[in-house]
Amino acid sequence: MQKVKTISDGSLALQIADVPPRPIMSVVPPPPPSGDAPFATPGGAPLAAPAPSTAATPPAQSYTSPPAPLAPQPVVDPAHDSSSDPSGGAAGLLDDLVARFADAHGAILASVDGFSIARSTSMADEASHPAMLAAAVGLAHQLVTLGGGDQLRQLVVDHDRGLLLVWPVGDQRVLAVLADRTVDQRELRSFVQAGAAVLVGSDT
Amino acid sequence: MSGQTFKILVTGPFAAGKTSMIQAVSQTQVISTDVTTSGDERDVKSFTTVAMDFGTYRVEGDDTRMLLFGTPGQARFRFMTNILKGDVDVVAFVVDAEATDTHAVAGVELRALLRDLRVPAVIAVNRCDDVDAARRLARSLGALDSEAVVPCQLIDPDSGRKVVVEILLTLLASMETTKTEVA
Repeated sequence: MQKVKTISDGSLALQIADVPPRPIMSVVPPPPPSGDAPFATPGGAPLAAPAPSTAATPPAQSYTSPPAPLAPQPVVDPAHDSSSDPSGGAAGLLDDLVARFADAHGAILASVDGFSIARSTSMADEASHPAMLAAAVGLAHQLVTLGGGDQLRQLVVDHDRGLLLVWPVGDQRVLAVLADRTVDQRELRSFVQAGAAVLVGSDT
Repeated sequence: MSGQTFKILVTGPFAAGKTSMIQAVSQTQVISTDVTTSGDERDVKSFTTVAMDFGTYRVEGDDTRMLLFGTPGQARFRFMTNILKGDVDVVAFVVDAEATDTHAVAGVELRALLRDLRVPAVIAVNRCDDVDAARRLARSLGALDSEAVVPCQLIDPDSGRKVVVEILLTLLASMETTKTEVA
């Protein structure tokens, strides 16, 4: 069963609760940390998407502290103030993600046609980044058919310095997270799935 | 030129008609990476290519095959053109005659690409029926007088095939030139 981690930052949970439920991104439960094996298969993890009901619903139990100590909150960027945030709170959520996961260094939310929607403050504003993500995901959608599948769930760029994890979010956006190989992918995806309503947006 | 495979790069500005052309002429199912547009580009059209289009064309009664690689048109996807442009035999440069605001940048792109690749080009002037007007536009983009110019309506598959014929003629001509150089 999908374990939804709660977060001590009440504002994020509130954001999720305030947004009407939307179709959530579907993700595969990640493989366990795979060491250095470049092509490790998801070790026995079921390939089905988690039950949708667990995702956009705020957890019913009381808030608990996350197991890992929270990284210091990033400096507040006026551009990421959610009240004036054109990304509808997504930029703040990406900063929360980077703060929450010590081994995640940045996140970019892009439209499927290659425009920037939001990014964590740790990421440079580089127009080619969202375009590259859109192109890679566009091609990956086609490669899914080569593999006999119907739906792209995740794109992983495994490189010498870490991982770039890319997920389609809804059918109009893609999310990329830069992380160390040590990142807890299950936790990361739970976090992302919990924020899916904000990430998917409403510009469809 | 039998038994050969040629690589054609189909490029040009956003919304020029590149995907339409490949869809029109490909004899195999086109691999496309169309997604819905957003922002201002949504006012121009509903879908856009984000990575590439891929189609094929085999000459009837011959083993000659063309592989058509279409690029995205927007500047933010220029890296895809750089990926796809290796070992290209002919550039098919598509431009929309009526989208005059795209012509200046298109000319810069065309000249840079041909300087870089040193291969012949076919200029497909979309939404244009007049040979002289198409030739004038191609010249203003920096095309050489020796380069083929095809006025076309790429919404119409037959029109796309006219471009393919020009590409084949251009391939033939460039092979003749190569032979002469070798001899």
